[in-house]
Amino acid sequence: MTPIELIISDVNLEGSDRIVKQVTFIGQLDESNVDEQARKVYELLETMPEKSALIFDFAELEYMNSRSIGYLTDWYSKMTEKAGKLVITQARDNIEDILKVVGLTQIIEFYLTIDEAKLALTSV
Amino acid sequence: MNILDNIPDEPMEVSIAFPTQAYFLSGIRDFTLNLVKNVTGFSEQWAFRFQSIVDELCNNAIEFGSAPGDEIKITFITEKSKRITLFVADKGTGPQNNSAEHMKELVEERRTWDHTKTMSIRGRGLPQIVANWTDDLDFIDKEGGGLIVKAVKNLDQDQV
Repeated sequence: MTPIELIISDVNLEGSDRIVKQVTFIGQLDESNVDEQARKVYELLETMPEKSALIFDFAELEYMNSRSIGYLTDWYSKMTEKAGKLVITQARDNIEDILKVVGLTQIIEFYLTIDEAKLALTSV
Repeated sequence: MNILDNIPDEPMEVSIAFPTQAYFLSGIRDFTLNLVKNVTGFSEQWAFRFQSIVDELCNNAIEFGSAPGDEIKITFITEKSKRITLFVADKGTGPQNNSAEHMKELVEERRTWDHTKTMSIRGRGLPQIVANWTDDLDFIDKEGGGLIVKAVKNLDQDQV
């Protein structure tokens, strides 16, 4: 199985009581591991209240296949249904490139740094 | 010295056969990335793109085309500073042995989806990633069963 690690941590937004969690992806998401990792994210989504937010940190994410992009789309929809947000930070060029070709960069907000993402979530 | 100076101008053919098992795809992606970077003249961006093309075609072959334990064969034909031609062949022993005609129709149908409004988990690999990043995408029925997917990417000046 291709190595992948997900680290979930709380994010403190100064001046906001919004619940925000950061999910850091380390490794590659492919056909051999994506279903198992998706289960962890769905479990996290279950715990996220209305108007909460997820920051997906892709700095150490090296590869995504189409199935993992499909899951990302579904996670985004589920957060939107809760009037919440899902944003992406620090995506590598190849990750942003593949998300662009399937149209996701037109839907999901991308930020260069975690601080920029936090700032955007504070102001909404 | 340019990295391509030692690469012959004649087309080079490299084939890899591997068992129907997603475990091997990580290594095949690494191989693809290095091959495209080092012997074709394509940019790093296109090396990553070709990595995705190969991965998506192999995923489909594993899921639909070849039964577990059977074989999938990838063939790269690289022509320095000209093009890459890729063939991915399955055995036709998998759970969904699609014909070439069916695959052509499927790609055409899904290419017209508005993917900014489509929230389904599946269906992006072939019509959105592979079709958008290749100049020619074709499907060929193999004699005796199975499918060959042929993908060609020509090297334009903006891709160097």
